[in-house]
Amino acid sequence: MKQAAYIVNTGIITAIGNDTAACLDALLHSRTGVGKAEYLKTHWSEELPVAEVKASNEALAALATVDAKWPRTAILSAIAVKEAIQPVADKLHGLKVGFFSATTVGGMDLTENVYKAFKEDSSQVDFDNIKNHECGAITELVANHFGINDFVTTISTACSSSANSIMMAAQMIGNGMLDVAIAGGADSLSRFTLNGFNTLMILDKQFCQPFDNNRRGLNLGEGAGYLLLMSEKAMQQCGATATCIVSGYANANDAYHQTASSPDGTGNKRAMGNALKVANLQPADINYINLHGTGTANNDSSEGKAIEVLFDGKVPAASSTKAYTGHTLGAAAGVEAVFSVLSIRHGLVYPNLRWQTQMEDVSFKPATELQQGVAINHVLSNSFGFGGNCSSLVFSKC
Amino acid sequence: MELYITGTGIVSGAGNSGDDNFLKEAPSYNTDKLLCIEPDYKAYIPPMQLRRMSKAVRIGIGASKMCMEAAGIEKPGAISVGTAMGCLADTEVFLGKMIAQDEQMLTPTAFIQSTHNTVSGQIALLAGCYGHNLTYVQRGHSFEHAVINTQLYLADNPHQQMLVGGIDELTDGSLEALKIAGINRKENSTPADVLNGNTHGAVAGEGAAFFIMTDAKPATPAVCIKDVYAFTEKDTAAAAQKLTNYINSQSLNLDVVILGQSGDEKSNAFYLSLCSGVFANTSQYAFKHLCGEYATSSAFALGMLTNTIAKGEALPSHCALGNEAGVLKNVLIVNHYMHYYSCFVLQIV
Repeated sequence: MKQAAYIVNTGIITAIGNDTAACLDALLHSRTGVGKAEYLKTHWSEELPVAEVKASNEALAALATVDAKWPRTAILSAIAVKEAIQPVADKLHGLKVGFFSATTVGGMDLTENVYKAFKEDSSQVDFDNIKNHECGAITELVANHFGINDFVTTISTACSSSANSIMMAAQMIGNGMLDVAIAGGADSLSRFTLNGFNTLMILDKQFCQPFDNNRRGLNLGEGAGYLLLMSEKAMQQCGATATCIVSGYANANDAYHQTASSPDGTGNKRAMGNALKVANLQPADINYINLHGTGTANNDSSEGKAIEVLFDGKVPAASSTKAYTGHTLGAAAGVEAVFSVLSIRHGLVYPNLRWQTQMEDVSFKPATELQQGVAINHVLSNSFGFGGNCSSLVFSKC
Repeated sequence: MELYITGTGIVSGAGNSGDDNFLKEAPSYNTDKLLCIEPDYKAYIPPMQLRRMSKAVRIGIGASKMCMEAAGIEKPGAISVGTAMGCLADTEVFLGKMIAQDEQMLTPTAFIQSTHNTVSGQIALLAGCYGHNLTYVQRGHSFEHAVINTQLYLADNPHQQMLVGGIDELTDGSLEALKIAGINRKENSTPADVLNGNTHGAVAGEGAAFFIMTDAKPATPAVCIKDVYAFTEKDTAAAAQKLTNYINSQSLNLDVVILGQSGDEKSNAFYLSLCSGVFANTSQYAFKHLCGEYATSSAFALGMLTNTIAKGEALPSHCALGNEAGVLKNVLIVNHYMHYYSCFVLQIV
């Protein structure tokens, strides 16, 4: 029998807020974080809106009390980890603590500024801008800052990355390998990812409209989101309480195309179905689905069709929160795990912002009004990505 | 949980495991980098697809196909890959063009293939594998964590064949950075420098080593992973002590230890203290004179052993640091990359 992985606290920073309370307030008041890039210096700043955290690296580093020369992804990660770990930071003595992070850009925001000069003459470039390029370096910086070393890992499975870090953390707490885990992910905006997604022609030049028939694509975002997970024993030692657990998780592959989902959402269906099995739940038990809902024609259609089949037409309240935060890539599942926990804790269904027109190939309508005081016992959160990577998590009230 | 290895595929600077003469001869070179000697991929990858693949994807797919062929399976139940650097060449292609063209008129191919999970995704795509699929990117523990994930997955989903690999490619850009970081050596090295030198940094390497791992003991002799011990430590003396404590706690009747000795002066302190200490009475072998130093090279070491066992051979003589082993039953692989340490506890069953 596996031990439960209790969700004791959350830590988050996105374009809609620098911590959990600020993000919740924005969700409750339908405030979007999408807008014009101010800190990301790009040719496309006038044409491609992004959900940017509106602060310089220096200002953000001061929030986390870390070095402003770190890659922005590491700074964002440290801010969210600091919030997540804060209530128990001085109570973890003797407990095995793990840090499970996820990122897709790593230190690219610094590398891309010096790459040309580095290739021309490496001695002319401050090596501090290159040395933390690796994804694992981001996690290492943050783990060392917080003194976490029992198990430290980074997962990079594109847009599903942090769902997998939460899955692995729940497994390792489940079988007693760890007592405590900080699990989620972080990604900053970079010219590399903005231009990459732009070449795929899946970026919306307007504010994105997930699950709308006239959707045009996604807006990239940045941020970090982490859960503080604990075994029962660790909660007792720390005097901590929890409102919910990670009850289900699954990872599957769509095996269809490197960057596109199969039309009927083969991998999506498998991930959702297997996550429900692990949670020992039926589709009818789910009260809210936090959709992957990027706003691209392909994703929302595949995901919507997979949900209709799995839920046999009886789809519970569902919404995408990417119209608020943009698509934060490797951080997305961590960010949305925090929103899922808040949904259970406060009985909330978030409105799917900017929704106007029913999709033609999907019959269910996302939630468009804020619902408060709803009994939310089980939330399903989806994350699908390049490489066919599909992951779903289930969070349940305890 | 114990894992049994039923198939191995390697593409490395020392050749590939599909070649009958793989590792038979002592290597000979004087270089700063050991790049993969790639196989003829005709048997493994359709030519149309091969043309579009970067080296990382080619060596990854090639090694995974060799490995599945050796294990006699068409597709695995799940995939777990470790890569510290991911698909660097495509990353640099897109980055270079983005800067040169001031973010305009870019094409998506290199970006699409630049994501860290490209290799695991492409393997799934080519094999039609809908199962669990993960990519770990934790520096010198990337492969180790892919193996730990295999233990976690098979504990929940027994009796599956899981494809597990470690892969990293070297580019001109990464070699330059790794030299500045002091991980790889600026000067050329010979195999003797790797085995006996005391230099600043080690010869650079790259490669892909893939395995089929399962939780059920196979009928034919195979390597069993009893445990994976991975830790980080800044101080080499403290690392040697940690590893010694771990080995002493395991009551192992060791026959062979395969060491990641690279000729680097900082690493040497760690290995030498173990060789004169806890491994004093154990036959010692090296592997980095074959594959070079890179973050997922422990996968190559494991592959060298599993490939040897599958062929019913002895470990290559040119890998022995002293007396060759009489018995090959209980084996450790001990590796150090920067301050990432790992130890695979293995038994031939």
